[in-house]
Amino acid sequence: MSAGSPTDLRRHLVGPLARRNPSVKLALLFAVSLALLFVFDVPTLAALYVVAVAAVLAARAVPVRTLALGHVPFLAFALGLFVANTLTRPGTVLWQVGLLRITQEGLVIGLALALRTLATGVLSIAFIVSTDPVALMTSAHQHLRLDVRVSSALLAGYRMLQTIGAEWQTIRAAHLVRAPIGRDGMPRLGLSGHIAAAGALLIGSLRRGERIARALEQRGLGLSPRTVWRPVALTARDALFAAGVLSALAAVLVASALTGSLTGPGALFGAG
Amino acid sequence: MRVDAVSIAFGARTVLDGVTADFPAGSRTIVFGPSGSGKSTLLDVLSGVVPHSVTATMRGRAAVGAIDTAETTVVELARTVGALAQDPDAQLCMVDVDAEVAFGLENHGVARGDMDARITAALEVVDAAGLRGRGIHSLSGGQRQRVALAAVLASEPGVLLLDEPTSMLDADGVIAVRAALDAAVAATGATTVLVEHRLDDLADAGAMPERALVLDDAGGVAATGSTAEVLADHAARLREGGCWLPLDAELHAITGASGGLEAAANRAFLDALPHAAPGAAHILGPVVLEARGLSAGIAEPVLDDVTLDLHAGEVVLLLGRNGAGKSTLLRTLAGLQRPLGGAVTGDGPRRAVAMVFQNPEHQFVGRTVAGEIAHGLDAASPGSGKRARRREDIVAPPRVERALRAHRLGHVRESSPYRLSGGEKRRLSLAAMLVHDRPVLIADEPTFGLDRRDALQAARLLRGTADDGRAVLAASHDLRSLAAVADRAIVLDEGRIVRDDDLVDVLRDGALLRRAGVRVPRLIEHLLTRRRSTAELHAALGAYDRMPSR
Repeated sequence: MSAGSPTDLRRHLVGPLARRNPSVKLALLFAVSLALLFVFDVPTLAALYVVAVAAVLAARAVPVRTLALGHVPFLAFALGLFVANTLTRPGTVLWQVGLLRITQEGLVIGLALALRTLATGVLSIAFIVSTDPVALMTSAHQHLRLDVRVSSALLAGYRMLQTIGAEWQTIRAAHLVRAPIGRDGMPRLGLSGHIAAAGALLIGSLRRGERIARALEQRGLGLSPRTVWRPVALTARDALFAAGVLSALAAVLVASALTGSLTGPGALFGAG
Repeated sequence: MRVDAVSIAFGARTVLDGVTADFPAGSRTIVFGPSGSGKSTLLDVLSGVVPHSVTATMRGRAAVGAIDTAETTVVELARTVGALAQDPDAQLCMVDVDAEVAFGLENHGVARGDMDARITAALEVVDAAGLRGRGIHSLSGGQRQRVALAAVLASEPGVLLLDEPTSMLDADGVIAVRAALDAAVAATGATTVLVEHRLDDLADAGAMPERALVLDDAGGVAATGSTAEVLADHAARLREGGCWLPLDAELHAITGASGGLEAAANRAFLDALPHAAPGAAHILGPVVLEARGLSAGIAEPVLDDVTLDLHAGEVVLLLGRNGAGKSTLLRTLAGLQRPLGGAVTGDGPRRAVAMVFQNPEHQFVGRTVAGEIAHGLDAASPGSGKRARRREDIVAPPRVERALRAHRLGHVRESSPYRLSGGEKRRLSLAAMLVHDRPVLIADEPTFGLDRRDALQAARLLRGTADDGRAVLAASHDLRSLAAVADRAIVLDEGRIVRDDDLVDVLRDGALLRRAGVRVPRLIEHLLTRRRSTAELHAALGAYDRMPSR
């Protein structure tokens, strides 16, 4: 299992961030991501990214190693955004060879979008690592009025994801038996083989999902009145936490506006 | 609880036909019958899943206490009815043990202050108090099933519906879960209905419920009454119908004498079984697969220093508890997983090993039965490309035709593999492998979930495969079926081979088998007292299984 597996993650459910209300954290993550959608300049986004990393590390919310590993998918996505923008966006040409050309506008927007991805990424990693899924669903039901049948189904789905890895390994092995042999002497599934194996996984998962749905009903999900075993607290500290995060965001944005570097979506159309 | 003239049809297929039965409060009933006789459907009727959650036509009436199941939702019925399924992973829906047990209590509106005590109490009944705080993901199959049972028990249901609750577990898990079930029934006094097809194992464990309801092939009631009487009166018909019966009942079906192994007539019958099958000297061929110093695993090794040889012409049984490394060993030998250390060498550059998996569905790729058998045939012969593959979609080559005939699958050749019966799926998965003519066949739990008829057939097919000059290695918990065909047994414990010997010598090593979590069925234990060699055991078991019922 990699460092990102759910059981490992649950070991880090300590520290100040883990004690905060999951719905509040989710709402903040959403709010910050939304705000970042309107910011398009490199210095502001770089500052926000640095502040996010510093805050997450200072709160000891995520071990450095986990934070670094968690960056991988976001880095890959960020790199894609950067390259695509650099090479395709029209503007002042900095460098050109044949059909390949790099524009200044492309470089700036690409870098900004990449930094935005990383900033959102850091916060997402901190949220995922510091949040117990059961508490999240309990809190979503308590504080966000999510129907308990939906939150339970989500949890059941999360549990199913834990078993799907082993299931895939088995199906893959079963399909490899009759697959062609590659150059290194090991069997190779190839594209069509992977599609067939994924089909088998899908059929199995659908059936299991159906059985789990049945089990949820048989265990009385939907009876009323319903009680909650471990209600999730929503305290004044959560309000302080939210205020702190939002002020930090506001501080960076204001500072950046004052220094004149803050740029909005206008940058996309060359008006900024 | 009562069902009154209940008939259930899924589309045109009638699954239950006019079933009438009483389940008095506090009674324990076992439901059994051949595969496809509607046993699980009966439980679904009692829990309201049929007709509420599954599309089906229902006639007749089913009632839990004064509640008509057709007029009450599954969720409302859950106030009284608790259900435990075969696969714990299809039942558990939380991330850790505590939340799992609490989930039912929350649904039933138990006061928060009472919950901790009830969680502990329920886990204690199933001997799982030590699992509090553990993640579900880290538990063994037997532990998961006990947690699932505790989760059901916590809400104190008056009725407990159990659908083959031990079928996916190894010997240790079966014993622990059976003990938990007994404790649960004793602690709660719940009315219990148990569906089970391995009555031989259940009776060996001394856990037979006092009442029995037997369904027949058509979904009607074949017999009902006290378990002892039902087994005495119907054993012969049930055995011919493919049921796994308790040893005592099976002996009664053959000899007419009751009393099991205590009865002189039965002992005399078993002693008189042939000591040697005519012309059955198995000739051991050359080594076709060898493993030397093998260690294997995904990230960290679960196999350590495994060395073994497989010869043409032999059936080798791989024994050990779940998690001992059996599946990893099989996959590594089959070349599906690269070893971390050591080497597997086979028969020349061509692929040497075919493998069938516990769940036949995992390997299905074809849209039809014929297509499934034809799959990959072109890939085995170098130089044939896409065109060859397309041609096979149109006309099945003669070897596919031969395989369809040999494995009695001709009548379903155009069906989807997923629509076959359990026995047919197993035959198809074997047929699709054997058609490749590879010198080694590896099988993971080849008799899993099969009734007596289909399990013995699958075991005979493995023997036939070896007799045709191939090596067969089968990992199984089902000694009852496979001891009749295996020549040698390898015992795996914590990733190491702890014994590799002639079958009878391994089976006689009781202490070792207990340590490795392997249980020997009583019939085989008894036969071993009089049979010296594996050939003698084969002859006796083979004759016993072929013996007609009275």
